[in-house]
Amino acid sequence: MSASFDVQTQHGQPTLLIRGSLDINSAPSLAERIDQLLATKPPRVVVDLSALDLIDSSGVAALVKLYKGIRAQGGQLEMKGTRDQPLAIFKLLRMDKVFGIV
Amino acid sequence: MSVATLRLTVPGHLRYRSVAVRFVAEACRLVSGARVFDDHTGAFEVNHPFDTAFVSAFMEIFNNVALHAYRGTGSGDIELVASVSSTALTVELRDAGVAFNIDAIPEPELDALPEGGMGIHIARTMLDEMKYLPGPPNVWRLTKRLTPATAPEVSQPA
Repeated sequence: MSASFDVQTQHGQPTLLIRGSLDINSAPSLAERIDQLLATKPPRVVVDLSALDLIDSSGVAALVKLYKGIRAQGGQLEMKGTRDQPLAIFKLLRMDKVFGIV
Repeated sequence: MSVATLRLTVPGHLRYRSVAVRFVAEACRLVSGARVFDDHTGAFEVNHPFDTAFVSAFMEIFNNVALHAYRGTGSGDIELVASVSSTALTVELRDAGVAFNIDAIPEPELDALPEGGMGIHIARTMLDEMKYLPGPPNVWRLTKRLTPATAPEVSQPA
């Protein structure tokens, strides 16, 4: 169980794809990618979680950091594809509404 | 009701976290009946509500033991004992590290979008029972019962 992160940009809009397990072992690597992403000051970021299998509180913290960082820059964050265990965690922490997860 | 007991001992370091998580996911499967690995791709899957809840809780407690009891050094082991029945799962984690003061952990203010302090809240909420007995050895006892909300769907005859 490990995670991989890719940023794909189309028409100037970055999409962050997170695969595998976003947890206490992999979250620090995502935090570095988030810092790089925020440095470009994108007006809108899409986070694709359709391939995310597991998340723990450290992984949630990394996504909260991304959300706060983008909002602080006046941008917007959209999360899509959340399912199974990660969706249950977001609902438990009432972050499904904050992140606009349907 | 028969109860099967499964045991696994891993070093108390985050490096061995995934081994422990898979052990617990398999114990969950014995209760819920859900598959844990995709037969075709071999991918790890946790999507049954019972498994999702228990694995979520366990991951947080394992993190806690590795980081707080053993201070990230992996200087001791974590003994896992899973008691599996047809209706419930109890997993005990036993460590020889520094005892934890669970009463000192405040509930997170979720509306403030916290970036920490959510682990114990997740574990406590996902389980039916969570007990911590300071040691040595320190013992975390995690229990969840299979309820209609988390039971496997059974097709009805037409």
